[in-house]
Amino acid sequence: MKRVLAIDTSAGTSVAIVELRDGASGASDAVTLATWHSADTMKHAENVGIAISDCLAQAELKPKQLDAVVVGRGPAPFTGLRVGIAASILFAEGAHVPLFGVVSLDAIALAEAQAGRHANGVEQLLVATDARRGEVYWAVFDGQDTAGLPVRLRGPGVAKLTSVLEQLDAAGTAYRRADAHVEAANLAQVFFAQHLAGQSSHDVSALYLREPDAVPSPGKKVSG
Amino acid sequence: MSLHLNWSIREAHEPDLAAIMTLEHASFGSDSWSEANMRAELTEHHTYYLAAEIDDRLVGYAGLSKLPSSEQADIQTIAVDAQQRGTGLGRELMHRLIARAIELGATELFLEVRADNPIAQKLYRKLGFVRISVRQNYYRPDGVDAIIMRLDLNAYELPTRGRKQPIVLGIESSCDETGVGIVRGNTLLANVISSSMDEHARFGGVVPEIAARAHLEALQPTLRKALAESNLELDDIDAIAVTNGPGLGGALMVGVGAAKALAVATGKPVYAVNHLVGHVGVDVLERGVLETPTIALLVSGGHTSLLHVRDLLNDVELLGETIDDAAGEAFDKVARVLGLKYPGGPEIDRAAADGDPRAIRFPRGLSLPKDMEKHRYDFSFSGLKTAVARHVELAESRGESFSVADVAASFREAVVDVLVTKAVNACLDHNVPRLLLGGGVVANRRLREVAQAQCDKHGIELRIPALSLCTDNGAMIAALGAQLIMAGREPSSLTFGAESTLPVTHVQSL
Repeated sequence: MKRVLAIDTSAGTSVAIVELRDGASGASDAVTLATWHSADTMKHAENVGIAISDCLAQAELKPKQLDAVVVGRGPAPFTGLRVGIAASILFAEGAHVPLFGVVSLDAIALAEAQAGRHANGVEQLLVATDARRGEVYWAVFDGQDTAGLPVRLRGPGVAKLTSVLEQLDAAGTAYRRADAHVEAANLAQVFFAQHLAGQSSHDVSALYLREPDAVPSPGKKVSG
Repeated sequence: MSLHLNWSIREAHEPDLAAIMTLEHASFGSDSWSEANMRAELTEHHTYYLAAEIDDRLVGYAGLSKLPSSEQADIQTIAVDAQQRGTGLGRELMHRLIARAIELGATELFLEVRADNPIAQKLYRKLGFVRISVRQNYYRPDGVDAIIMRLDLNAYELPTRGRKQPIVLGIESSCDETGVGIVRGNTLLANVISSSMDEHARFGGVVPEIAARAHLEALQPTLRKALAESNLELDDIDAIAVTNGPGLGGALMVGVGAAKALAVATGKPVYAVNHLVGHVGVDVLERGVLETPTIALLVSGGHTSLLHVRDLLNDVELLGETIDDAAGEAFDKVARVLGLKYPGGPEIDRAAADGDPRAIRFPRGLSLPKDMEKHRYDFSFSGLKTAVARHVELAESRGESFSVADVAASFREAVVDVLVTKAVNACLDHNVPRLLLGGGVVANRRLREVAQAQCDKHGIELRIPALSLCTDNGAMIAALGAQLIMAGREPSSLTFGAESTLPVTHVQSL
């Protein structure tokens, strides 16, 4: 699993091809060969095909030269999230490569840690992304484990931001908040760390965290 | 090498003998037939020979033998001028002999081919011939073996002339059915449907979010099942077709995203096609062609549309559609009013079996003279549904009992009456002698009965595809994609989106 295509549509459309290479110090370096990003939260179906084919062109790779596909499972608003997962499923099928799923919020936590904005034992990290309807998808992290994986203490969940903050405050937790978007390259890095630690997962089910908006109705009267 | 594709092919006769013998010697050398033999071949009653010419010069010939008493036929010989090999002439000659053998009532076609001629063997294999035995040392004086090959003509599909029959995989996800179908040209190879209908039952109608979630889960298993059914692998597919509208936006997006990724992963072109036109085009899978012009009545839980199709790919006109509920939706809603289950169509059909369709005169939507001016081909079922509900509520409020069977039968009659009357009107008004039905409501037996009776009365030919092709399915999407390819259309770009209100005039989205 050296070279992966990562797809995330939990916010906009983010696609990357990342390769794991042996680093100078004997550690492995994740090298991003190609990225494609659009912040548009309405055009996933339009963008996803172009995003993948553009990344392959940038990296000068054929689909079968990839070792795996990694997809962000959200949590995220339904419609866009599904496009990325659907695309990843049939891309993996067509390219005959295995498919893995990663919680999208973990990729944000990893990016924060790598950017030096979150370290072990200093303060916790609250990652909150837009869930619409006045709510956020959230998770709380505490540094990285020995495999380099973000340690998710709580979540993912969906709630009003104020109630998440109240809970953290009530518990007296010191935290800082990140509300960055998911970068597919970070998703790939989480996957590499999981895979090396034997924790990668083929579960690509969407993390909706909400039931469909539908209530069985008894039918309404039409006459007075 | 110069390529000439402008050959013409006609039946060969005795005057062609000299030219044929020249090509015979050039092609087969020491293995050539004698002139006497060839003359006999050209003049026998049970043989059929073709000559291919460019500017009156013979560049190929081929012969068939079929005795009237036998169901077996033989390819006697085939030769193509060295300059014309690789142009498709050999294949074209073979196609014509195969077609002739079928015309003459043959069920099996045999040929012999030299073991040291792999190019000819490949051509025959591609045409569907299967190797059945070997005759040792058959070709003298070289002592080369002959391979005997057989073609089962019962299973043979006559190809569309001059074009390869593309293998197309179609993906449909516009409503509550995840469909993956595979066709080769106009031939159905697989049609697998995964429906989320049961999950919608407790809501009494399709819930878009539930449908979209179900598509995501059904994609991969449905695709795998379709490939298994067709005995093909993804690498065998020539192109991918996908519904990009009209339909439920979130549901469409699952198919669109998936189809594009599959296209990129396999390096195959993708065709974004119109769901409603797919319902019309599906007829090619049963008849080989869509006979046009035709009026098409498409009735489902999501659509009630009347189309005038002058040409499947170039000229589809929307004559009218529902201005409120779709007919299938009306069945679902009325079923609830009557305490019947979802989906309402089959339930109401069952309940109506013992009912009197004339017991209650329910309104026929948009059928009054004043409505017909503006809405001659439009439908409205909302008022009908309300009338049924009012009828039931009134009876209940008075403490009177009412006959569910009569209400169901009368309601069904009203729906069917409007659907068929407007469709037949469209045929008569436009002087179109054909009506094609499509959509899930076609499962309704009364609709089929009344449509047949009315069409018979007015001399209109009625086409009702098999029910598995009438309900939403991927095969119709694949078939429309194949039609586009065979017409030489360019694939769609990767930028098209899901269009919930895609008009029928957009057969393909680029």
